[in-house]
Amino acid sequence: MAGQQVDCALDLMRRLPPQDIDKNLSDLIDLVPHLVDELLSSIDQPLKVAKDPKKNKDYLLCDYNRDGDSYRSPWSNEFFPPIEDGNAPSDRMRKLEEQANDAFDVYREQYFDGGISSCYFWDEEHGGFSGAILIKKTGDLKNKFRSSWDSIHVIEAHEKGAGRNAHYKLISTVMLWLQNTREGSGQMDLGGSLSRQVEKDLPVTADMFSHIVNIGGMVERMENNIRGILETVYFGRTLTVLNDMRSLVDLESKKAHDKLNQ
Amino acid sequence: SGINAEYGSSGINAEYGGTPALVTKDGSVDGSKVFYDPGSNKNFTYKYLTGEATNVEGGTRDNGAEKWRKAVEDALAGYLKDNFPAFGSAVYGKLEGDTVSLTVAIENHKYNPDNFYCGKWTSRWSVEFPTSGGYAKVSGHMKVQVHYYEDGNVQLHTKKSAEESVQMGSVEEGARNLVEFIGRAEREYQLGINENYREMSATTFKSLRRALPITKNLVDWHKLHSLNIGRDLMNRTT
Repeated sequence: MAGQQVDCALDLMRRLPPQDIDKNLSDLIDLVPHLVDELLSSIDQPLKVAKDPKKNKDYLLCDYNRDGDSYRSPWSNEFFPPIEDGNAPSDRMRKLEEQANDAFDVYREQYFDGGISSCYFWDEEHGGFSGAILIKKTGDLKNKFRSSWDSIHVIEAHEKGAGRNAHYKLISTVMLWLQNTREGSGQMDLGGSLSRQVEKDLPVTADMFSHIVNIGGMVERMENNIRGILETVYFGRTLTVLNDMRSLVDLESKKAHDKLNQ
Repeated sequence: SGINAEYGSSGINAEYGGTPALVTKDGSVDGSKVFYDPGSNKNFTYKYLTGEATNVEGGTRDNGAEKWRKAVEDALAGYLKDNFPAFGSAVYGKLEGDTVSLTVAIENHKYNPDNFYCGKWTSRWSVEFPTSGGYAKVSGHMKVQVHYYEDGNVQLHTKKSAEESVQMGSVEEGARNLVEFIGRAEREYQLGINENYREMSATTFKSLRRALPITKNLVDWHKLHSLNIGRDLMNRTT
């Protein structure tokens, strides 16, 4: 019964305007409060930002670094607001996190020229580990356009072949939001997300950083791919649908013109 | 039932016997599922779950406003054929005392579930004027929604209101002027959206994330390792 309800909730979120994700998710939780954990872990929300007061640095919030109402900062590895015995990563995972955050800081600068990134890793019960790599970039208010990009990459890794290889599974969601109010076009809101996934076997060494090399390469290629698809879907497809519904070209004279050219 | 009527008020296409009819708040007869189609002067019951119009029966036309209503409907037909590949529309007319009220509703949609997208255009314009004619304020709004949902959920929501004083003059002149204003307003709106898209794709999108780093090469992740060695050394000495 609960499984069916979660499916229905996900179905609803696929149809409702993504611009209202936060409100719709909150309304869903009101409807089925016993499913709050399931819903929070399966429905992506635009990334929120908090400041780590110890390191004076921004970090991104998601279900993976949440414990109750507190969120763990990847910089100080502490929860804010502070809590007793928060859900912390093992020493090995913490070391991986530090390396990942440093590496993705550089990646972020090279592609986003700003923005915020945060990486979180955790051991999996049945061996292997998982991680979440988050990036948020908010555009500046040029020409009255509000814009922002949210990346949510979730990676699963399992070592195999006596530690020579690892199998990775990456599920990536990129959210893109564009809004504008102008005389000619009124209010415009173009937003939402696309998701893709990929699996790969890659070599690893005794150095934990080899995981970062593998994961980094997969995330980079995936993001480049999704960026291209976003461009096509957002600025190609959605505009074509509008221009198909109402023609800017006089249809009657177009028909006559087409007949002449047959 | 009330919720369904609210949904219907956004303008839905229904069909009976091949004649398209629009489901709108303006055409609601009982505030629930019976609607009036002014063009054919018929009432129909709209089945929300199936999208069918059934139970077609005679409607109650306000004959006092009919000559204005019909003139606008005729003028509108030409505009719609020129600009909308498919459409549903309705022109409602009412005469109260000496005041004529006209409401124009236009709807077009594109459903393509095989390719995971759909879209909808709705516009609504209304005007009130005395039977003697003269300048009257036409006001209304236009809305566009597009939904793309292959491996994702991307939606465009846009709306714009517009108004202008239009010379309602003689019956034919008024109809022509009204339709001319509607055409101009809707074209300007569509052009505005197209212009936004040009700017978004040329500038806004690119400044969020580059296609490639400035070096034009993918990141050399192996190189980033030396950063970590540096940090470990720092941690040990501090």
